[in-house]
Amino acid sequence: MNIDINHLKVFEVMTRLSIDRASRALSKTLKTGAKIALSNIYITDLTGATEKMNEDTREMAGVMVNFHGNVACKLLFMLPMAGTLILTDLFLRQPIGTAKEFDEASESAIQEVGNIIAAHICNALVSNFDATLVPLPPIVHNDYAGVLFSSLLMEQGMNEESFLLIDTSFKILKTELDCYLFLIPELKSFEKLIDSLGVCV
Amino acid sequence: MKKILVVDDAKVVRMVVSQILKRNGYQVIGEAANGREAFEKYKALKPDAVTMDITMPEVDGIQGLKDIIAYDNQAKVIMISALDQRDALAEAIRHGAADYVVKPFEDDRMISALHEIFGDSTPVEH
Repeated sequence: MNIDINHLKVFEVMTRLSIDRASRALSKTLKTGAKIALSNIYITDLTGATEKMNEDTREMAGVMVNFHGNVACKLLFMLPMAGTLILTDLFLRQPIGTAKEFDEASESAIQEVGNIIAAHICNALVSNFDATLVPLPPIVHNDYAGVLFSSLLMEQGMNEESFLLIDTSFKILKTELDCYLFLIPELKSFEKLIDSLGVCV
Repeated sequence: MKKILVVDDAKVVRMVVSQILKRNGYQVIGEAANGREAFEKYKALKPDAVTMDITMPEVDGIQGLKDIIAYDNQAKVIMISALDQRDALAEAIRHGAADYVVKPFEDDRMISALHEIFGDSTPVEH
């Protein structure tokens, strides 16, 4: 992995702009503040990355999104099962506590959150950095946090090498919802995009 | 009452769009979860207009739009997508979309789009 400090700096700016846009879109969708903030960008491997997630033993609903275009990326959004009911109520603009069980509506609420976050990240990268990027349809899974997280990485073929992980803090205001949102960019393609911008000397 | 077919792979979005349409005097004649279902239901139900998502599994909304327009070149299809990108918009318009609404949207944006395609002069309250 040859990414240098200048690339990383530009990459951080790209990430902040993208998740800011996704935050605004999600706030508008849910009619309440959704605050996504960049926590950390770091290089890790499968063991290092999954170790932390395995400490969270709650069952989660997770949505994975692959991006397609001249840069490649994956996104994982997950939240505890009980949180999906709150998300469903917010989506349907009904009082919190109305949704009682995880059903097709709850599954599609988390699916649509994944879609909106992913699409607006793509929109920001396309409009600000001349990327060509669209999200593929989101896929929803239910499992423990560590299992969801490692299956995303395995699917990416990341079990042997190190990779760049973007970790965020993700809160939905006026609720107890505390969510996970990870982005895993494919570094070579982003390096090319950053080089084409001519901002790294 | 104008009949609308609502197409989106997320059930919550179909529910929200249907609620908005019904509140504004439209009849939701059917729902579909991808482009293929949308085309089949278009032929069977003959709606006056379609609201169509783009990013959907199996057959996406652009292919659904193409199939519907090939079958009925007078079809009125409004694309509703979180993709706010020039290429996506251009592709939709090129294949015959009547309008393009970006998610998340205010209710009146979608209703304005419907008024526009039906030539209805009733103003939408802001």
